[in-house]
Amino acid sequence: MAEARTVQPGDRTLAYVTLMPSAAILILLAGVPTITVFAIAMQDVGLGQTSGPFVGLENYVWALTSPDFYGALLNTFVWVFGSVTIEMCLGLGIALLLHRNFLGRGVARAILLAPYLVPTIVAVLVWRYMFHDIVGIVNYLLIELGVIAKPLLWLSTTKWAMVSVIIVGVWKFFPFVVLAILGILQSIPQEQYEAARIDGASPFQQFWRITLPYVLPVFILTALLRTIWTFHKFEIIYLLTGGGPLDATTTLPILVYFKGFVDFELGRAAAIAVLTFLILTALIAAYFLLMRRAEARQ
Amino acid sequence: MARVEIRKVSKIFAEHTALSDIDLVVEDGEFLVLLGPSGCGKSTLLRILAGLEIPTYGDILIDGKVATRLQPKDRNVAMVFQNYSLYPHLTIAENIAFPLRVRGTPKDEIDRKVKWAAGLVGIEGLLSRKPRQTSGGERQRTALARSLVRDPDYFLLDEPLSNLDAKLRHNSREELRQFQDRVRVTSIYVTHDQVEAMGLGDRIVVMSGGKVRQIGTPEEIYTRPADTFVATFIGSPPMNLVETGDAVLGFRPETFLPRDAFAADADILSVPFHVRRVEYLGGDRLLYGKVTQVLPETDVLARIPSSVACPVEAGEEVSFAVLRSELRYFDRQTGLATDRQHMAPLRSVSHG
Repeated sequence: MAEARTVQPGDRTLAYVTLMPSAAILILLAGVPTITVFAIAMQDVGLGQTSGPFVGLENYVWALTSPDFYGALLNTFVWVFGSVTIEMCLGLGIALLLHRNFLGRGVARAILLAPYLVPTIVAVLVWRYMFHDIVGIVNYLLIELGVIAKPLLWLSTTKWAMVSVIIVGVWKFFPFVVLAILGILQSIPQEQYEAARIDGASPFQQFWRITLPYVLPVFILTALLRTIWTFHKFEIIYLLTGGGPLDATTTLPILVYFKGFVDFELGRAAAIAVLTFLILTALIAAYFLLMRRAEARQ
Repeated sequence: MARVEIRKVSKIFAEHTALSDIDLVVEDGEFLVLLGPSGCGKSTLLRILAGLEIPTYGDILIDGKVATRLQPKDRNVAMVFQNYSLYPHLTIAENIAFPLRVRGTPKDEIDRKVKWAAGLVGIEGLLSRKPRQTSGGERQRTALARSLVRDPDYFLLDEPLSNLDAKLRHNSREELRQFQDRVRVTSIYVTHDQVEAMGLGDRIVVMSGGKVRQIGTPEEIYTRPADTFVATFIGSPPMNLVETGDAVLGFRPETFLPRDAFAADADILSVPFHVRRVEYLGGDRLLYGKVTQVLPETDVLARIPSSVACPVEAGEEVSFAVLRSELRYFDRQTGLATDRQHMAPLRSVSHG
């Protein structure tokens, strides 16, 4: 009995056994669907089917020769880099503002989080109303302020639809950037600034030589996360414009949806999804290479 | 080099008074130590001198010119922080160069001065490292070099040795003093460590509760404490205090020796000493016990060098004595040191 209870040093059996349930769940939840997508991408699968005839790389060839794919790819890049660039700049600026001491700072911080907490469907419906060409407050304000002479067709022109989508995306997700940067700002020891003041550094030099080096790693990491998440974003665009008008806001996830659940071509949808996956992987790899090089230089 | 004058400075924060009515002159080239327990206001005073805080009342004069509201950068002051506050993203060389770079000093002059300052504190070999790749002592020297590199008018040090281990602290203290003797820049040094204060300071300012308790040379502070606070704060173990009527009698543990150690005709106060415990500390022995009969029964300590024979066992009562010239008197109400003439009655008591 005593032996049965004893775990010998160096015996990892128990460790593996206890890890198995979690590992099994992980494989089930993450591994199986991913592999399934790769498998379906090489089959001709219609709606209601779980598999179909093997077609090799045909779905990929179709995607890579389809103007729809390249259109969606371009839209995705505009959407991702437009949103992330603005989110990061706005987030940094507002984090710096909120880091200062002022009356009502706590309230301001709480209010700022609101967009991040509002459910997407609610936010999008409100924004659609605000973007309305005739009764929308956006056009009303812009005309009152004299910025534009006549109402803009925000969601129904190819030119402005992408801008609208980016505005809503930025509005919804910049608080995340603010939170991340505010966190690191508050961890900078106050003494660093005092030392710099005694050393004669101007406020700009203090920002450049102390604040920025501290913030940079978090800033880059946040930008990476935002890039991945924005790349995958589906519901904001789908609910706001449905990918239109004339596919002007159809990004890769939207295209996957159309192929899979409108055109019922699950194989082609899976192929686009795999390509999206590869593009994102390449982006992240590039990011880590850049990080590594930046760290080596430090 | 500068003479720093603190005139009637008070600092009141929302809830408490950190400093009240501080008057102090730091002479040109002097090494002045601000000593006191934590919360006594010494760091606040240092921050006011740096320009990081503005006093609520009073003025700071540097070489006779009012500098109370000058920004730190306009004072030509250098400061070494307790945790050194090096810039973690810059190399040691860049850290030292920082004060010059933000001033737009030409590159070749920066290089020359960085080499000079690094050489002065002996860290030439570390210039290309990052602070996190150096030891505590090396960081402390870097902070020192950074503060020296631009010839400050005066030099503020906020417990710069407290983050070092005991051995390193001893060496650094020695180096710091030698270094100050060489550059002779007016230095104001904050510490709560009395050994550091005694070893480093030309003069010591003892502070407590936001007030200056005593200003003097280490010897003056030790041998003639201005009040009972200084008497017990300085010295380890502290001065023995015995309340007698309306006066408090004080004597250092090392002056309290067996009666036999004194000549028969010496002017001494002799008192029976009931020893409770003997502690052997290598160089010294500490005798814990209480004085009785001649003086009101009070716990006191005697410190006897191990080289002096003292065959006292715990539980014994022996005759101990202090030279009358070593006795200090304090007012019982105010705790302030008083002239011994007023204490004439005690003389008769002890003779009786």
